[in-house]
This record gives sequence, C-alpha cells and structure tokens, in this order.
Amino acid sequence: MTASALPIRRERLQGAGLDAALPYLLLAPAVLIVLAVLIYPLYDGLRASTAFYRYGKPLRDVGFDNYIKLWSDPEFLNSLWVTVSFVTLSVAIETVLGLLLALFCAREFRGIRLLRTVLIIPMVITPVVVAIVFRLIYASDAGMLTAFSEALGGQPVQILGNPLTAFSGLVALDVWEWTPLLFLIILAGLQSLPVEPFEAARVDGAGAWRTFIDHTLPMLRPVLAVAIVLRTIDAFGTFDQVFVLTGGGPGQSTLLLSIFGYNTAFKFQQTGYAAALFVTMGVIVLALALAAVRLLKRVEAA
Amino acid sequence: MIARIARAIVTVIVLVVVLLPIYWMVSSSLKPNREITQDGTLYPHAPSFDNYTHLFSEKQFGHFFLNSVGVTAISVALALAAGSLGAYAIARFRLRFGLERWIGLALLTLRIVPPVVILIPIYLLMLRLSLLDTWLGLIITYTAINITFCVWMMESFFREIPLDLEEAAMVDGDSRLTAFRRIVLPLAAPGLAATAIFAVIVTFNEFLFALVLTATPRAMTMPRGTATLIGRIDTDWASMSAAGVVGALPIVIFALLVQRHLVRGLTMGAVK
Repeated sequence: MTASALPIRRERLQGAGLDAALPYLLLAPAVLIVLAVLIYPLYDGLRASTAFYRYGKPLRDVGFDNYIKLWSDPEFLNSLWVTVSFVTLSVAIETVLGLLLALFCAREFRGIRLLRTVLIIPMVITPVVVAIVFRLIYASDAGMLTAFSEALGGQPVQILGNPLTAFSGLVALDVWEWTPLLFLIILAGLQSLPVEPFEAARVDGAGAWRTFIDHTLPMLRPVLAVAIVLRTIDAFGTFDQVFVLTGGGPGQSTLLLSIFGYNTAFKFQQTGYAAALFVTMGVIVLALALAAVRLLKRVEAA
Repeated sequence: MIARIARAIVTVIVLVVVLLPIYWMVSSSLKPNREITQDGTLYPHAPSFDNYTHLFSEKQFGHFFLNSVGVTAISVALALAAGSLGAYAIARFRLRFGLERWIGLALLTLRIVPPVVILIPIYLLMLRLSLLDTWLGLIITYTAINITFCVWMMESFFREIPLDLEEAAMVDGDSRLTAFRRIVLPLAAPGLAATAIFAVIVTFNEFLFALVLTATPRAMTMPRGTATLIGRIDTDWASMSAAGVVGALPIVIFALLVQRHLVRGLTMGAVK
C-alpha cells in the first residue's frame, strides 16, 4: 500500500473506465425516468387489460376476454368508426387547405409576416380554450353564429344538439386549430425546393397547373407524407377539445376512442376493459405509423 | 394587379377566420351574462372586467396559474437537462449492443403512442405513491413525457455540430464533459431554445393527465381549473369566456414573443 500508487490508478480509471462509462452515465437519468414513468406503466397497462376490476382492485385474471368483448361491443365499434372518420376528414381538409395556403404564400409579399404570426395562435392556444372558443361560437343562445344570424334577421343556429352538425362542428374546430401546422410544414418544404426545375419549366412555357403537377407535387411528396402522418397520429389521440366541447354527444356522435376509454375507466370504473381498449388503440396507431414508414421508404426509393 | 388583389382578399379571409372566434370570446368576456344570452350584441356595450375579477377572487385562478407556471418550469428544466445529456450520448457514442439505436427507437415509439394509452397505469402509479393532487405527481409525469421529445429534438441538433470542434478542444486538453460544456452546448443553444419553447407550450397546455392526477386547487393547473369551472357553470357564458381568455393569454403571449424559434421547432422534424 503506497500512497504513490493511488494517483496512477485514478488516472487509469479516468482514461479507460470512466470514459467508457461516460455515455451510459449521460443516458442514465433519461432512461431511468422513462423506464419508471412510461415503460413500466405501459407494461402495467398490458397487465391490467387482462384482469377484471371491481372498485379499482383487480379481482381475477380473465386472459383475453376484455379484448374479445371489445370487438363485439357496438359502443367500441361506433367509437372506432367516429374516430377514424374524424381523423380522416379533419386531416384531409387540413392538408388541402394547408397546401393551398402554402402555395399562395410561397412568394414573398406584404402581409405575409402578419399572416404567419396570426396563424401561430390557433396552434398554441390551450386546446381546452379552443373548445371554449367553439362553444361560444356554436351555443344556440349565446353563440356567435346565432348572434350574427339574428343580426341579419335569421333564426338561432343549433349546432351541438344534432349528431351530424355536432360532428361537423368538431371537425371544423380541428381544422381551425391545426391547418396552420400543415401550412407551416408545407411552406417550409416549398421554400426548401430547388429553383432550377421551376425555371426550366418556365422556359419551356409550362403553365402554373402543369408546373404544379409535374414538379411541385412530386418534389413535395415526402414533406406532405410526413406532415400527414404526424398530424394523423396526433389526431387519433384527440381528447381535450371533445371533452369540453361535446363530452362525446349528442348520443355518441362525437364519442372518440379516447373519450370512450376515459369514461369506461373513470366514470364506470371498468378499469380492465378500458385498459384493453387503450392497448388496442395504441396498437392501431403504431401499426398505422409502421405502415406509413414503410410507404415513405418506398416513396423515397422510387 | 389581379394577383395582388387576390392576395389581399385571401389574407383578409384568413385573418377573419382565425381572429373572429377569438374576438368573440374576448368580447363576451367583457359583457354581463344578460347581454350575452338575451341581447346578443356584437360587441360589449358597457365593457367591464367584473368577470375577470370574479375568477381571481372567487374561483382561485391565481392558484391555477401558479401551479401551471411552477409545474411547467420545473418539469421542462428537468427534461431538458436529462434529455440533452442523453441525446448527446446517442449522437456521439457507439454503445454496446447498438444500445443507442434501441433507445432511440423506444423513445420514438413512445412518442407515437397516444398519451391516453398510459393514462390508467399512470393514475394507478400515482395513487400507489400517494402523489395524486400534488405538484410532484404532475412534475414526474410531465418530465418523462418531455424527455422523449427532448432527446429526439436535441439529438438532431447535436448531430448538426461538426465533430472536429470537440476533437480540437479535447486535443487542447479539455475532457469530454468540458468540451461538451464549452463547445457543444453554446452551439446547440438555438436548438435548446426551440426544444424548451415547444416543451413549455405543450406542458402548459396539457389537460388529460392534469384531469385525472389533480382534484383540488392545490395542484390543479390552468387548463384543468378552466375545464372544471365550465363543468359546473354550464351556461355562465361570461365566466367561461373570461376563463378562456385568462387560460390562453399567458401561453399566446409567450408563443408570440418567441415566434421565430417556435416555427423552427414545429416544422424541423418534418422537413429533414
């Protein structure tokens, strides 16, 4: 045991051991938190989905019964249908509007900065507040639509009392809130396109429409695809806006999967059944994302 | 000429569609209930801030605001710290078993799965830990959710920084960590800002977990408090619109102040 041996050892530790351990040490906090707070609950949710709960306590293991029950439950099938139509319709409208708006703004003009600033607002407003904004538009006694209709000598407008108009009203909310995101992404994509093909097309005398179909759209396809996938995944999880705007009604016309699952778990205390529903929902979204990635790769390869 | 007129028209239409609904909420918040439901005026005829003072004196919106600011600040700071370190490791090191790729993949998967999927187990977890209705319960949850995002964003920012700079610093005698602090972090500052801003907005606005994890003004955040108020006062439109304005104003002001960074954060993942 000599004192002089110590510094050498420490140096070697720093040289080899500590340096080799460094990346693991850097990753440790993030990985540990994610393991404890996200991965473990995910596993816990899987376990809960095979149990029968009463009063918040798992009573017995029921295997895949919850999952089997799910696919013959008309309420679940209806929710799935409502969710899929809500997502498809909203994302389609947002993409078309976002694309049109981005094409329109591709060339700099006065007012474009104001436009971009204002378009940030719907995306960053608290979703709960977005729902309040739209309740204040739709309310038949106090709403903006009714006020304007009456100012023009018309009748009060009913939106949230009727299944079809309530569903459309929800889609309108989503379009208002998220078209700006599609717009910003597509605009960024447009501005990153090379200029040469467009100059060549102009020299060739191609019209605006032909240029769009032959050059803009094909080059924009990857950006468009990513934007659509991102928005679709996000739209599947929509909860806050529906919770505050309609609560899923009238009837079950706006009962998205997320709301249906929330009610099942926290209103009706069917914890196991709700867990199975959420696991199913997660699998659906993951499968969608995976399919999208495959498709994207093929698009990029072609 | 025609193009200019068309541009002006489209610009005005977009501005009206975006701003008119917001105008209506602000305008309603300055009216008494009777004017909203019976008179249906298009602007407040006798504007007053009564609805607002009521929120803070009777409905504890001061509490909600402080809870939101505290929980958001702490969880974003923690996630940014843990997330940047992790992202640096993934961006710069080759780990055993290709661990860095697996971790990246796991984090991406977690970002794809809708948050509602872990709602029940997170609730059960916080119930077991007696962390329901506390700041800590929210902070833990939000930190974890933000980490997945921070790692993903920061990794791509770190990859943009050329390796030579760090290597030069290390040749000059810096340790890896000193090089990280002196060279890499300052260069990644815009990325850190964009990540932090995005995380702040998402966390401040979060409602789903706040809904099941909090129950009293002790821990309720702004969106949670606002939604609770609405549930109780179904047709108190005046309070509802004032609550909407108060709920959204801080984050809208914040977003407009940091606009430039925000747009980068929002669009970067997609365009690369």
